[in-house]
Amino acid sequence: MSAPVLQLQGCTVTDARDNVLIHDVSLSVGAHECVGIIGESGSGKTMTARAILGLLSKDLKLSARQMSLCSQDLLTMNEKQKRAVIGQEIGFVPQNTVAYLHPLIRIRNQIADGFVQAGRGTRQQGQAKAEQLLASVGIRDPKRVMNSYPGQLSGGMRQRVNIAMALMCDPQLIIADEPTTALDCIVQQQVTELFFQLHQQRNTAILMISHNLTMLKKYCDRIIVMYAGQIVEAASAQEIFDHPHHPYTRALISVIPRLDQDPNVPLTEIPGYVPEKNRGRTSCLFADRCAHCQPQCRQPLQFSDALPHFSRCILQEGGMAG
Amino acid sequence: MIKIFGKRLISALAVLLVVSLITFFVLKWIPGDPAQLILGTEASQESLEALRESMGLNLPWTTQYWNWLVNLFHGDWGSSYIYGESVRTLILQRLPVTFSVTIFSMVIAVPLSALIGILAALFKDSPFDVLSRSLMQLGTAIPSFWLGMIFMIVFAAQLKWFPVTGYTPPSEGFFAFLHSIALPSIILAIGEMGVLIRLFRSSMLSALQQDFMQSAQVKGLPRAMAIVKYALRSAIIAPITVIGNQTAKLFGGTVIIETIFALPGIGRLLLTSVEQRDIELLQGIVLFITFMVVFINLITDLLVAAANPLIRMETGGKES
Repeated sequence: MSAPVLQLQGCTVTDARDNVLIHDVSLSVGAHECVGIIGESGSGKTMTARAILGLLSKDLKLSARQMSLCSQDLLTMNEKQKRAVIGQEIGFVPQNTVAYLHPLIRIRNQIADGFVQAGRGTRQQGQAKAEQLLASVGIRDPKRVMNSYPGQLSGGMRQRVNIAMALMCDPQLIIADEPTTALDCIVQQQVTELFFQLHQQRNTAILMISHNLTMLKKYCDRIIVMYAGQIVEAASAQEIFDHPHHPYTRALISVIPRLDQDPNVPLTEIPGYVPEKNRGRTSCLFADRCAHCQPQCRQPLQFSDALPHFSRCILQEGGMAG
Repeated sequence: MIKIFGKRLISALAVLLVVSLITFFVLKWIPGDPAQLILGTEASQESLEALRESMGLNLPWTTQYWNWLVNLFHGDWGSSYIYGESVRTLILQRLPVTFSVTIFSMVIAVPLSALIGILAALFKDSPFDVLSRSLMQLGTAIPSFWLGMIFMIVFAAQLKWFPVTGYTPPSEGFFAFLHSIALPSIILAIGEMGVLIRLFRSSMLSALQQDFMQSAQVKGLPRAMAIVKYALRSAIIAPITVIGNQTAKLFGGTVIIETIFALPGIGRLLLTSVEQRDIELLQGIVLFITFMVVFINLITDLLVAAANPLIRMETGGKES
């Protein structure tokens, strides 16, 4: 297997008061791989993506043992180099489709900015490429869209424009942060399909953040489960569903609503809340909500991330002590 | 764009018509008989009656208003009894002074406010930002008449950098002209800058926090370029409206500064007409100031529409 596109080791983000927001996150995305991150709101999925993209707000502190993109070390670069590398190697598709495109600038005048900046060609060449990309993401009338302001497009169209814009520099990796939030469900389906179509056609690696486990299972090679700012389980998509180790993952799978379930039985939920404080500790963060909690879980724990199936739990499959 | 212009023009004309009606009636109904004012209390009943007749004061108000309006359109704005000249001549004589001071003060205030406000936003909470905010407070809080007098004493009377009072028309040398209006313009500019700096700073701050700034960063644009192309583009819109309003306000509102610096402008003419109850002159000036305000607002609206495609889409419908 070739070198991973993205390699993140021991990434920790703390706020101005030294509260840990994400703790010791390590992940890698291989070339042409499609990786999904799942977790509840506040689990640190988006924070992880923003840490990689250099989009953390200034009052947050980032530390990591390793953060490299296409074998280039992002940690030792200055701000300017980092922007340039990320601009060329990563395409980002955001959650918010409203203000991500500048509302006062026509699409044609903003879509090629990164392309021109990266020195890949003139503005005209960029715009020609943008038209092709818009067509390839399913926009029937690329010329009209190019001449529009974002406010004249529907949410689904804007998200397609964002995807096309993310592809302008032929990035090695696409990071998508809940790209279908705020779209209606038919458009959600179309946009999701589009992503994996692009993944197939262009062989771009994808890091997809979502809270839709079913969708991730369908499209992703590997799934990373985050909880309270930590990765609690990471394995191949099949493995996660067939042999979930961590009680949190099992809980997530059990709360997926199914069509064949009795409509009179209330939907299951995971009791309790995601802890906000003290996320830096190495004892189990899920202990308070866990049905299988043991005295040991309250002690500092250590887990090896060398295994193909990582789990931050002392129990193994089926709740048996391993 | 043409559609917007048409719409705004119609509403501007409507405003002018309404204001002309209000002006006419307010000045009709205020106590005091214009004929009596002109001829004095000693005048005989016959001569008063004769003057009323000649001024058209005995006609029904609709006719009076109509005549006044028709005359206005023919360029006859009435005549001032204290100056014995036509109102139009008087206003046109005073206009260059007020106009120069207004424009000059905006020429000082706008670029400086933009520069300070935008830098303050870019370096938020830096010493520069804190300093600019304190100065802004001072600029807004200090009354212009007080600042006018202090500046006059310090820079004109003692340091002799500027003439103390009076106005030199540009025909007597451009530098002398600028020199004569510099001090009043600076004082007006300081007053305006308080508001403008605050506005430039806050709209720049809000632009910097928008998602499109992250979009620019992720696309690999250097920060400077993202600021110039994306943030400034958004940040200039709110100030345009306020700059327009301020300019309009200055056209009618420089009474205090014109009085302190003995500048023969519209403001002083207004003051005299009120003091002397020169009704026709007062009507003329009020209507003229309204006209200027409406006209500048019209230009402002067009500028905003030119800068903001969202407004064009709202009003103009099709856009491509």
